[in-house]
Amino acid sequence: MQKMGFKGWLFVLPTLLIIGIFSLWPVIQSFTYTFFDYRLNDQQKAGLYVSERFNASLFNETQMYVSMFLEEDLANIKSEEDLNQVTQLKKDLMAADKQFNGQKGVIKISKQEKSKIEHLHKSAKELVHSLNSKYELIHKDDLPALVDDLQNSVIPSNFIGLKGYKQVFTDNRIGIALRNTFSFTVLSVFFELVLGLGLALVLNKAMFGQGIVRTASLIPWAIPTAVAALMWSYLFNGSSGIVAHFFEAAGLVDKSQNLLLSGPGAFASTILADVWKTTPYMALLLLAGLQNISHSLYEAASIDGAGKVKSFFKITLPLLKPSILVALLFRTLDAFRVFDLIYVLTGGGPGGETETLSIYAYKVMFAQTNFGYGSIIVMFMFVCVAIIAILFVKFLGANLMEKN
Amino acid sequence: MQTSKRNLWITFGVVVICYLFAMVFPFFWVFITSFKTSGEIFGTGAFRVIPENPTFQNYLTILFEKGILNSIKNSLIVATTTTIYIIVVATFSAYAISRFHFRGKNILLGLILAVSMFPQMIITGPVYNLFLHFKLLNSFAVVLPYSTITLPMAVWILVTHFNQIPTALEESAKMDGATTFQTLSKIIFPLAAPGVFTTAIITFIASWNEFLLTITLNPNPEYHTVPVAISFLRTQFEILWGQVSAATAIVTIPTLIIVLLFQRQIVSGLTSGGVKE
Repeated sequence: MQKMGFKGWLFVLPTLLIIGIFSLWPVIQSFTYTFFDYRLNDQQKAGLYVSERFNASLFNETQMYVSMFLEEDLANIKSEEDLNQVTQLKKDLMAADKQFNGQKGVIKISKQEKSKIEHLHKSAKELVHSLNSKYELIHKDDLPALVDDLQNSVIPSNFIGLKGYKQVFTDNRIGIALRNTFSFTVLSVFFELVLGLGLALVLNKAMFGQGIVRTASLIPWAIPTAVAALMWSYLFNGSSGIVAHFFEAAGLVDKSQNLLLSGPGAFASTILADVWKTTPYMALLLLAGLQNISHSLYEAASIDGAGKVKSFFKITLPLLKPSILVALLFRTLDAFRVFDLIYVLTGGGPGGETETLSIYAYKVMFAQTNFGYGSIIVMFMFVCVAIIAILFVKFLGANLMEKN
Repeated sequence: MQTSKRNLWITFGVVVICYLFAMVFPFFWVFITSFKTSGEIFGTGAFRVIPENPTFQNYLTILFEKGILNSIKNSLIVATTTTIYIIVVATFSAYAISRFHFRGKNILLGLILAVSMFPQMIITGPVYNLFLHFKLLNSFAVVLPYSTITLPMAVWILVTHFNQIPTALEESAKMDGATTFQTLSKIIFPLAAPGVFTTAIITFIASWNEFLLTITLNPNPEYHTVPVAISFLRTQFEILWGQVSAATAIVTIPTLIIVLLFQRQIVSGLTSGGVKE
C-alpha cells in the first residue's frame, strides 16, 4: 500500500467537503441553537443574539408611520403646548431615523444609541398617552401599539445558556416521547430479530422458493416508508380497513374503529407496520451470514452426536453473532430515529401516545418554529444514539471496521 | 426417515407460503381497492375481493388532477442527480481509502460511519436556515443535504468492493506508465463496475425514499417528491382511499421494476454494507 501524496488528498477532498458542510457543520450549529431562545416566528428571537441588536428596518418603518399618524391627527390637537410637543417628537424621530438611514435588517448598536432609542420610546409613549386622554384621535388605537414597536426594534439578547436544558427535566412530553421511542425500538427490533432469524434459518435449508422469497422480501424494503405507512393506515382504518376488521373478528380489539384511536392499538399498529417493512431486510442480512457457515461444521457435530438444537446453539449462533450484532446495531439506530412511518401512519396520535422523539422534535422545530428547544430534543436524541452505538461496539463487540 | 423428511418439507412450505402471503397481501389488497368506487370502499363492499363496479376513475384523478406525474418527475430528477454525484464523489474517496496509506484514515472511516448514524433531524434545522439564507428552499438543491444519508453508505459499500480487487493489476499498470487517474478509469473502474452499479442502485432507492428533508426544505407542492406528495393525499378532512390506493399502485411500479431487475445487486450491496463476508 503506497503512502498518499497531495494528489491522493484530492480524491478524498470532495467527500470531506460535503460531509463537512452538510453533516458536521449542521451538528455544531444545532448545538449552538440549544443555548438560545431561538424562535423563527418571533421577530425579536429569530436569530442568535449574544449581545443586544437593533432592528433598523423595523425602526425606520415605525418612525415613518408614527410621524404620519401624528401629522394626520394634528387637527384634533387643540392646545398650543401639546402641538409643540408633537413637533418636537417628530423632530427627534427624524433625527434618530437619519442616523440609521440606509441601514437594513438587524444591526449592532452601541449602549448610547440604545438608551437614546429607549428614551425616545418613553417620551413618545407618554405623549401619546396624554394626547389620547385629552383628545379624540383618529389613530387612538394604532398609535400606542406603533410607539411600542420603537422599543421592539431594540432586540435583547436571547442567549439563555443552559436554561433550555433545564426545561427538559420539567417537560412531561419529552419523557413520554422517550418512553415511546424506547418501547418502539425494543419491541420492533426484538420481533424483527426473532422473525428474521427464523425465516433465515428456514430459507437456508429450503430447496425451493429462495428466488421468489428474495423478490418478495425486497419489495417492502424498497418502497418508500411513507408509502408503506399510508398503505397500512388504509389497512388499519376503522371503517374499511381489512386488517382492522380481521383483528376485530379475531377478538384482538373490541371494535375495529378503536385500533388506531386507542393508544395501545395505535402503538401496536406502528410496530406491526415496521416489522412488516424491515423483517425481510433483517432476514436477508442474516441469511447471507448463515450461508457463510461451512456445512462441514454441522456434519462434524452430527458425527460427534450433537442434535439439531445443540448445533444451533453451539455452531450457528456463535458463528452468526457478528452478523447479528451488526444487523441489530443498524436496525436499533433506524428504529430509534423512526420518523416517516409514525408521522404518516398516526402523526404521533392519538393524544401523543405514539409520539417519538423525532416526531416531537419535528413538531417543536417546524410547527412551533422553536428551533432552540427543538435542537435540545435533537441533541438529546444524538446523545442516545451515541450511547447505543458505543454499547454495541464496545460492550457487545460489534465489529464494523472489518479489514481496516 | 422418509416421513420426517416429508414433514420438514411441509413445514418449510407452510412457513414460506405464510411469509409470502404476509409480504404480498397488503399490495394485493391496495391494488384491488384502487379499482373500487368510493361508495364501495366505504359501504358494504369494503371487504369484497372482486370490485362490484370496477373503475379507472381513481387512476384518472390521480394522474391528471392530483399531479402525481409531476412528483414522479421530481423524484426521478432528485434521485438521479443524487446518485450521479454521490457515486462520483464516493468512488474517488473509496479508492483512496482502499489503496493509499494515510494518517487519519481510521478517523475518516469512523467519521463516515458516525455520520451514517446521525439522527437526520439534527441537520434539518441548520440546513433549513442555510437554504433560507441562500434562497434555496423549494428547489432541487435539496439533493445536496441528501448526501448525509447516501454518501457514508456509498463510500462504505465501495471500500468493501475495492478491497476485494487485487492490487497486483494496478501495480503492473503503473509499471507500464499509467497515471493514477488512468489506473482508476482503465483498470479499477471496469473491475469495480459491478460494485459501483450495486452502490448506485442502493443510493438511488435511498434518495427515492427520502422524506424528512423534502417535506421541510421543499414545502411547495411543485417540488414534492413521491413519498411526500403521497403523504399529502391524506388530509385532515377527507380520506379518499381509492385515490390513495391508485397512487400507491402507480408509485410502487418503478420500485417493483428495479427490484425485479437488480435483486442480485441489491442483496450483494446490502450484505456488503452491513454484514461481513
